Amino acid sequence: MSSAWQFYVATLLVYAFVYIIAVTGLNLQFGVTGIYNFAFIMFQACGAYTTAVLTLGRSTKSFQHFILGYSLPFPIPLIASGLVSGALGLVVGALTVRRLRADYLAIVMLVVSLIATALTTDATGLFNGAQGLALIPQPFASITSSTIAYNWLYVGFAGLVCVGTCLAVRRVIGSPLGRALRAVRENDAAASALGKNVTALRLGMFAAGGCIAGLSGSVLVGFIQVWSPSSWLYGETFVLFTALVVGGAASNLGPVVGAVIVPVGLAEGTRYLPQIGAPTLVPSLEWIVIGVMLLLFLWFWPGGIVPERKRKFPQTEPRKTASHILVELPNDGLQPGAVPVREATRR
Amino acid sequence: MSSFLLYVGFGLVSASILCISAIGFTLQFGISNLFNLAFGSTMTAGAFVAYIANSNGLNIWPSLVLGAAGAALLSLFISRTIYAPFKGRVKSLFTLIMVTLGVGIILQYTMEAIWGANNVSYNMAVGRSVHVAGMIFTSTQLVVIGIAAAVSLAMHSLLKYTRVGKAMRAIAVNERLARNCGISVRRVTDYTWLLSGALSGLAGGALVMDVQILNFGTGDGFLILIVAAAVLGGIGSPYGAMLGALIIGVSSEVAAGFINPAFKTVTAFIVLGLVLLVRPTGVVSSIASAKEVAR
Repeated sequence: MSSAWQFYVATLLVYAFVYIIAVTGLNLQFGVTGIYNFAFIMFQACGAYTTAVLTLGRSTKSFQHFILGYSLPFPIPLIASGLVSGALGLVVGALTVRRLRADYLAIVMLVVSLIATALTTDATGLFNGAQGLALIPQPFASITSSTIAYNWLYVGFAGLVCVGTCLAVRRVIGSPLGRALRAVRENDAAASALGKNVTALRLGMFAAGGCIAGLSGSVLVGFIQVWSPSSWLYGETFVLFTALVVGGAASNLGPVVGAVIVPVGLAEGTRYLPQIGAPTLVPSLEWIVIGVMLLLFLWFWPGGIVPERKRKFPQTEPRKTASHILVELPNDGLQPGAVPVREATRR
Repeated sequence: MSSFLLYVGFGLVSASILCISAIGFTLQFGISNLFNLAFGSTMTAGAFVAYIANSNGLNIWPSLVLGAAGAALLSLFISRTIYAPFKGRVKSLFTLIMVTLGVGIILQYTMEAIWGANNVSYNMAVGRSVHVAGMIFTSTQLVVIGIAAAVSLAMHSLLKYTRVGKAMRAIAVNERLARNCGISVRRVTDYTWLLSGALSGLAGGALVMDVQILNFGTGDGFLILIVAAAVLGGIGSPYGAMLGALIIGVSSEVAAGFINPAFKTVTAFIVLGLVLLVRPTGVVSSIASAKEVAR
């Protein structure tokens, strides 16, 4: 492969891993627990910002404003990103303590997301405003000086984080905790009646999902080396939700499939199309395709490509009324009363 | 004191535009029980229809009416062909909200595909400035405020004194009961979407007349303030929407004037956040409670 191609493929892979991590986190919140967190992208941005301020050091403060400014070695910023985003998840999740109707919560979350965008853009001292942060150092720069080798190294790192996250979420989904979460999703009143602490479970998933989103943001920002509020607008949350719907919510493989098809496949698949019409035409067609895809999936395949496998339990026989028995009896000339009811119901 | 009144004046203008649109948004929630996140896009569509008429030589006011009519038809079309079938097929609230979001995205980027990302503006005279009790308005802004007042009054009379309006209120509180009383829910729903669509187009046009910039994202950027106003006032209630629009519009402009222009939207949201913490159903909570948005 030529170096340009290697660069392209490596970049694509990093993006794919970042999206898979993020959609997996969203799956935990939305797919499994049924929380409509329309502020999801805010947690990714938060993780990215945490990594940025912990690695930027003081030297770049001459031309951009931010808080802290440490240059901590590699694993600390990643872990801190997860923790800070998780903590933010707890704070935001506190909004759900009053049980809001699911779509009302979504609207409130949407507003939260936009407040965050407005705040980050307006508070120039804290986040350097709309310009964002630049020159965020690469975490493994000391290991190799070759760009290509570095990119492949980063692919491996992103892949490791991604696989780790997927396995962890898989464990949660299959565990008794996962069962409790699904119970909260299907019927929170019933889950509560069975002794599950619905509020604590929701809060916990807000924190866990936020933490995973933070990790994805940290991985992303270490690669692209820039941070700006305009890269994390609420449209991105829409893309992640679409990916989850297309891939299949609450399944293990669904987030992976969805992330590869929607954000990675669509955004990159259109890159080599010849420019037709105005320069904005292809990107806007991309958005239209994502929207149409969402509607088609919701209508025809609401379970997504890899639907959740619902556990089936043997049904207890419903009680049948006399009229059922009459209808179901074979026409063998017997009187309806001639067959004992117990036998008739056993058919 | 005088500068305070000045900012209140600015606030009244944004509150007026917010009022027209928030009434439409909240009506849609009341009747169809869904948050129509495509509302911002129908606003933009209405503004673009007005732009086409206006750039072909028509005066701005008739163009505005055409824009409202265009947005009304578009809203009715979306409601009939997409929302109603989805509501009949799935019960999941998530599906419905994603559908409205998807429709909004499709509409918005269709407009970008057609008109590009350029800014356009109407061909109109802003009019001379008028001083009213320490506040300064352009005559266009005064007309916009007048329109908002007229819309609010008309809405009040509609809901209070006409059969259609009473049917709307009945459906908003209990759809099944309304149906059992012989109200044609289908027809009233169609009327509601026509009416709210017209309001969205009108608001879109008025917004562009005020800020003088129109592009494919104009309405979508404004949508969040509409949502804030409607939720603050109590989602589903038109009176709540008027109140919410007034609070959000005036508080954001006053804060922008006194604290920092950058905190204009943030202030509006902080007000909303405080209200939601204390009273999740909003100020006028009758319909929001009937629909159990918060328990």
